[in-house]
Amino acid sequence: MSLERPDTTDDAAIERTPDELEALLGDLVVKRDDHLNAPGFVIRPDTVQETLSILKEQAGYDHLSVVSAQEYENRYESIYHLKKFDDPTQEVSVVVPADKDDPVSESAEPVFRTADWHEREAYDLIGVEYDDHPDLRRILLPETWQGHPLSMDYDKDRPQIATLPEHANPLQEHHKDDESDTMFLNIGPHHPATHGVLHLKTTLDGEQVVDVEPDIGYLHRSEEQMAQSGTYRHQIMPYPDRWDYISAGLLNEWAYARAAEDLADIEVPEYAQVIRTMGAEMCRIAAHMLALATFALDVNGDFTATFMYAINDRERVQDLLEDLTGQRLMFNYFRLGGVVWDLPEPREEFFSKTRDFLDQLPESVEEYHNLVTSNEIFQMRTIDTGILPPEVAKDYGATGPVARGSGVDYDLRRDDPYGYYDELDWDVVTEDGCDNFSRLLVRMREVEESAKIIEQCVDLLEDWPEEERNIQANVPRTLRPDDDAEIYRAVEGAKGELGIYIRSDGTDKPARFKIRSPCFSNLQTLPEMANGEYIPDVIAALGSLDIVLGEVDR
Amino acid sequence: MGTAPAQLFPEFLVETFGLPGVLGEVVAALIAAAVVGNIVLAFTGVAGPWAKRKITAAFTDRIAVNRVGPFGLLIIPASAVQLLAKELIVPEGVDRPAWDIAPVILPASALLGFSVIPMGRLGPINFHLADPEVGFALVFAFASIASVSLVMAGYASNNKYSLLGGLRAVAQNLAYEIPLIVTAMSVVLFAGTLQMSGIVSAQTTTLVTIAGFDIPAWYAFVNPFAFVLFLTANMAEIGRNPFDIPEAPTEIVAGYQTEYSSAYFVLFYLGEFVHIFLGGAILAVTFLGGASGPGPESIGFIWFVVKIWGFFLFTQWARSALPRVRIDQLIEIGWKGMLVLSFANLVLTAVIVGVIA
Repeated sequence: MSLERPDTTDDAAIERTPDELEALLGDLVVKRDDHLNAPGFVIRPDTVQETLSILKEQAGYDHLSVVSAQEYENRYESIYHLKKFDDPTQEVSVVVPADKDDPVSESAEPVFRTADWHEREAYDLIGVEYDDHPDLRRILLPETWQGHPLSMDYDKDRPQIATLPEHANPLQEHHKDDESDTMFLNIGPHHPATHGVLHLKTTLDGEQVVDVEPDIGYLHRSEEQMAQSGTYRHQIMPYPDRWDYISAGLLNEWAYARAAEDLADIEVPEYAQVIRTMGAEMCRIAAHMLALATFALDVNGDFTATFMYAINDRERVQDLLEDLTGQRLMFNYFRLGGVVWDLPEPREEFFSKTRDFLDQLPESVEEYHNLVTSNEIFQMRTIDTGILPPEVAKDYGATGPVARGSGVDYDLRRDDPYGYYDELDWDVVTEDGCDNFSRLLVRMREVEESAKIIEQCVDLLEDWPEEERNIQANVPRTLRPDDDAEIYRAVEGAKGELGIYIRSDGTDKPARFKIRSPCFSNLQTLPEMANGEYIPDVIAALGSLDIVLGEVDR
Repeated sequence: MGTAPAQLFPEFLVETFGLPGVLGEVVAALIAAAVVGNIVLAFTGVAGPWAKRKITAAFTDRIAVNRVGPFGLLIIPASAVQLLAKELIVPEGVDRPAWDIAPVILPASALLGFSVIPMGRLGPINFHLADPEVGFALVFAFASIASVSLVMAGYASNNKYSLLGGLRAVAQNLAYEIPLIVTAMSVVLFAGTLQMSGIVSAQTTTLVTIAGFDIPAWYAFVNPFAFVLFLTANMAEIGRNPFDIPEAPTEIVAGYQTEYSSAYFVLFYLGEFVHIFLGGAILAVTFLGGASGPGPESIGFIWFVVKIWGFFLFTQWARSALPRVRIDQLIEIGWKGMLVLSFANLVLTAVIVGVIA
């Protein structure tokens, strides 16, 4: 195939070998730097847009998962992890080294809108500057922060003075410009509907939203840095529970487990995979129930019965998870190579409790459909509001129920199988409405799919021969993956593609640990959904994104 | 209409205690007003800290207050002390005295409305303070003063959320007041009077008799369409779900009452509850036969209380079950839907009344 061929979908869908890709990119490639998950092409820092456009338009790599940046002894480096929405197993990494003294690299924002925030984060934490970036400001740390915390010469003992940023005074007059009579409104960081400490800088024209700019970072806890100072084997696993803390803990743990297991080449016993699959889907139900509950709060008002009903159902899953893991939120149940312990004894009791829950679930879902989705006022409020067209969703790297609510058929459980998913019978749910209603409906239907998965897992576990119940592979006490091995691995979290990038340096701790948070990318789409809509629609759109600030800010 | 107007509460006091002259009438009127006002406030006291919690809990599968006193009833004084003991925070830059007056106007206007409501008899006492010939117009006038309070609070609070809430309150009231009153006028056409006692007594006749049961000629039965219209508009008038748009805690925090704390906050809440009861009272008088019900006329007051509490329950049910409509949708419903329907109802009623009479 030649470069001149027009871009067709067929062309984009073709799976190319790394060498073919290298040929496609031609002179742009300086050298190869392959990662464990994907071929890596090192390019010059001023050819980022050109390279990414070719990969996006001619090779069909339309999903920029994450931008991970890091500092080496002799250079800075940004890595663009690309995938295809149609087939996420086709991956490619674009490695962009930048000068140590003057770390400037071209921005990918004109090619992938999602690069906006990812590059701001790289600038904020590592200090790489992106040329041609529309708005290169700090994103997680306060604007007045001195230094870049993940860079090598950062002095962590230096006191920081974080002054109140602009617009901190909610009473302050603010107009977009002198002529217009718009009103500036701070929604959050303390607001009933921001689902945590999120700050929306909103410009209003009457009740309509002219502009909304999410301001994040209030819950930044240096999760990446903490993971970098923990050992692979034991010290990192408790952290993932704290990212998406809305009871999606096992899904998060799996993200780290998958990345680290592939990095260290650990094989997980099948029995453990089934347990993991079951636990993860329980977490998904719990997370989606909370999403439904809080969405009802946002749309119905704060005394809605739906909230308590959904919380009740979540409580039932929570009890099962407590039985399984011994914890209610911070499970710390996965281990590299398996899970920490077997199902609780007596097993029959656990199975029957799980089955009871599954039996009662269709009735609950039916009730939610009666109470929520079939309510005319609810439909009036949510259908055709918060529109996110599929192309925009892809451009922003939206994943999970947000993307599937826009008809993007992308689910890593099916498309990039892990665990026991490919052995089980279940469906990926998509809706074509692209609106708030569709996103909610996707979650509600996913709950039913998760129930199907759990049921099959329970069947499998029940009949599993006792002598083959191997919950953990043999994993060395201390893991020291090969020097300079790099991997990006993702799982389907409750909110979307939760990925981990790890670079090892031969020690027992990762040299770089980067979390690709689905909420972070999903939240970026909020202005697209909200601009031109009414305040209540913005609140509904935010609710339908189902963000967890713990995961956005990390 | 047919029956002679019943003795009003102040007149009863004058007669019973033999209070002489104008002064006696004033004293009697004050005592009567105090009694009625306290009955309404007592309802509010039970509704706010206790009944509301219990009802919401029942809707959401919870138990709610059950530790303080029997059935948790002592939560009422406990909450009262707690709410009043809180610090009254006066934010910087509020527009006084408007900011201080607003929380007084809301309960005051709603309480005023009760002055013309015929609440029925309990024994010899007829809980009806005044029965002017324009009582029906008066009660709507009183009820809609409430929106003045909301705008005042919203504007004086020096808070953007409050301002939005205040503006929403005006837009909402304009959109719903007209259909509400036009629908009420169709009842006036039926009754042929604006006097509250006249409207009530017009509903005492029997509409039809089914299997030995007399169905009274309540306007809810005579004209169910108008009843539904009125009920909907009434929900918007008192600002309850699905029309709690001026407050909308998940959107504009708490709207006009965002900046109010302590006693002022209590006054707002009190006002809202009195307003709900007033809405229920207007509904009962207009469409549900006022204090009429099975049994002797001397227990009519009990029926009246049942009706307004029934309406309260209805608002709480709506609050637990229904989503909130958006402000532009509400205005569309009000101006494009309800207004047209209410005029259609009015014209139709006029024709029917004209043909029959």
